[in-house]
Amino acid sequence: MKALCWNGVKDLKVEKVDDPKILNERDAIVKVTMSSVCGSDLHLINGFVPSMQAGDILGHEFIGEIVEVGPEVRQLAVGDRVVVVSIIGCGECEYCKDELWSLCDNSNPNGILQKKVFQYPTAGIFGYSHLFGGYAGSHAEYIRVPFADHGAFKIPDDIPDEKAVFVSDGVPTGYMAAEMADIKPGDVVAVWGAGGVGQMAIQAAYHLGAERVIAIDSVDYRLAAAATHSKAEVINYRDADVLDVLKESTGGRGPDCCIDAVGMEANSTGIEHYYDRTKQFLKLETDRPAVLRQAIAACRKGGTVSVVGVYAGFADKIPLGLFLNKGLTMRGGQMHGQRYVPLLFELIREGRIDPAFMLTHPTPLRDGPKAYELFNGRTDGCMRAVIMPQQATEHIAGAPSLINIVDKENAVGLPVCE
Amino acid sequence: MSRKIVKNVGTTERIVSIALGAYLGYNGLKNLRYQSVPALLASGYLFVRGGLGYCPISRWLGKKDIHNPAINVKAVMTVNKPREEVYRYWRALANLPSFMPHLHEVAEIDERRSHWIAEMPGMGGKIEWDAEIVKDEPNELIGWQSINGSPVKNAGKVQFYDAPRRGTEMRVIFSYHPPAGGLGTAAAKLLNPLFKGVIENEIYNFKRVMEAGEIPTTDGQPAGKRTGKLKLI
Repeated sequence: MKALCWNGVKDLKVEKVDDPKILNERDAIVKVTMSSVCGSDLHLINGFVPSMQAGDILGHEFIGEIVEVGPEVRQLAVGDRVVVVSIIGCGECEYCKDELWSLCDNSNPNGILQKKVFQYPTAGIFGYSHLFGGYAGSHAEYIRVPFADHGAFKIPDDIPDEKAVFVSDGVPTGYMAAEMADIKPGDVVAVWGAGGVGQMAIQAAYHLGAERVIAIDSVDYRLAAAATHSKAEVINYRDADVLDVLKESTGGRGPDCCIDAVGMEANSTGIEHYYDRTKQFLKLETDRPAVLRQAIAACRKGGTVSVVGVYAGFADKIPLGLFLNKGLTMRGGQMHGQRYVPLLFELIREGRIDPAFMLTHPTPLRDGPKAYELFNGRTDGCMRAVIMPQQATEHIAGAPSLINIVDKENAVGLPVCE
Repeated sequence: MSRKIVKNVGTTERIVSIALGAYLGYNGLKNLRYQSVPALLASGYLFVRGGLGYCPISRWLGKKDIHNPAINVKAVMTVNKPREEVYRYWRALANLPSFMPHLHEVAEIDERRSHWIAEMPGMGGKIEWDAEIVKDEPNELIGWQSINGSPVKNAGKVQFYDAPRRGTEMRVIFSYHPPAGGLGTAAAKLLNPLFKGVIENEIYNFKRVMEAGEIPTTDGQPAGKRTGKLKLI
């Protein structure tokens, strides 16, 4: 089969590889019909996540059809249309039983190796470096899904592919971000990052009772999408002092809940940006925590900072004095997708969450490298490019048409937060 | 010096040390110059090392006696299953190969004795030995050791404690020693640090087999061309 492989920093290649096989009794093989790019892939592509090896197949947000099941698979059958959660959970350990799936004790084959870095092993993730198990990813015609009964969910007939695919990762990550933010009715929520996860966090925040949600980013088309599709007020941090604007617009209190949906490659302005860039280049810090700093600084006293943007290791100048003296609560985590999927199907059906607008670029597998370029460069209105490995041609029959994202010129008149 | 010297250089190595010492000494004395001094000092050191069978440098590097290196692996883990179940699975020693692939087979001869067949790195094939359970306190402790005359001395101990709401806490010690004296090299080869890592992983597999019913793997999955090495940093 064909698969999109990581070949080195900013070097992706579509290669011919072997078809996957059932390796354990609880495995299933899924024929991939849609496999989305994700912001967290960019950390691998840009070389900020360690333990990648040339030949690794990327991709972790996908749907498809079951074509083979292992002898111990009970809930699934060949032909089932499924969405597979990006994170792999065994379903039997203490953490899975507590529905903390991304902390699974048993799904990471390299758990001992990972322990040396993180002290404790965490769950395996598809296509997400060898520290997270070294599992082959979903940008391929077929993928092997371990512990399939727990990770693969049958998609209800009335939920179309272009919504279901994001239930794999983007929607549950955004939902969990909002849930961890401990939103109470009337709260003002600030979300840094208006990419896929940020958009879903905004929609989930409204669902969980937020009065106002404010999105912060620098890419105009993403802010436009946050305003039009997710109904947020927006701040472009290149045009405004974020802390001032947030304070001004909340009666001097600051937002009650702050969500970091950006993570380790945060951009910022002025000297702070060059400071972090230099330190990261010299490997004196692995992560650029500009958003985390700003979220801690902006949050109202006693508020909550919720972190779902991916961090890999160490970062500097985190304002812990503010964190302590303002009495903040800080929570973070990779999403526990298996916990949320049935609920998310329900919310999507009711229209409370709608991720379909994020599918801006349906892409055949062979154009995968190009799709990541668009996505990495935040160009061409790209929210998420979705690889369709079963479609060979440039023109994808039956794929959702490009959704018309409001461009920069039309962005005038957005509900800019001031 | 009244302290007894503990020999930490094996017989073969002592012979090599003396031969090398003689060679360096001969060359150094043959054309004696200032430049010969380091070679002569080294020669002297090798003579003493070979003669006494004691090497301070080896000692400093961690080799304290001839019997080293041995493999001692300690592990602690929590298994989300009741103590009785966890004890029972380990006590049936024939189950060990299901999570420790380096053990080819463990056959129970009777209540206490068992026959072990293992495949080990550097040994070129299988080695076998008999072991007996030396301590057995149901649901609390199992201890075993190989009986005299085994090509490799193996011993181990597992203790089980309740972890309220979380199943069972386990302490595991697994050790391999080459037998004292004699039969050195072949058995010593297996006792490399890599093997220690293998054992550590295999002990952790016990938890995976007990809880998930399988050992997670990626062996045999597809990948593109491995044109570079895995980089941890």
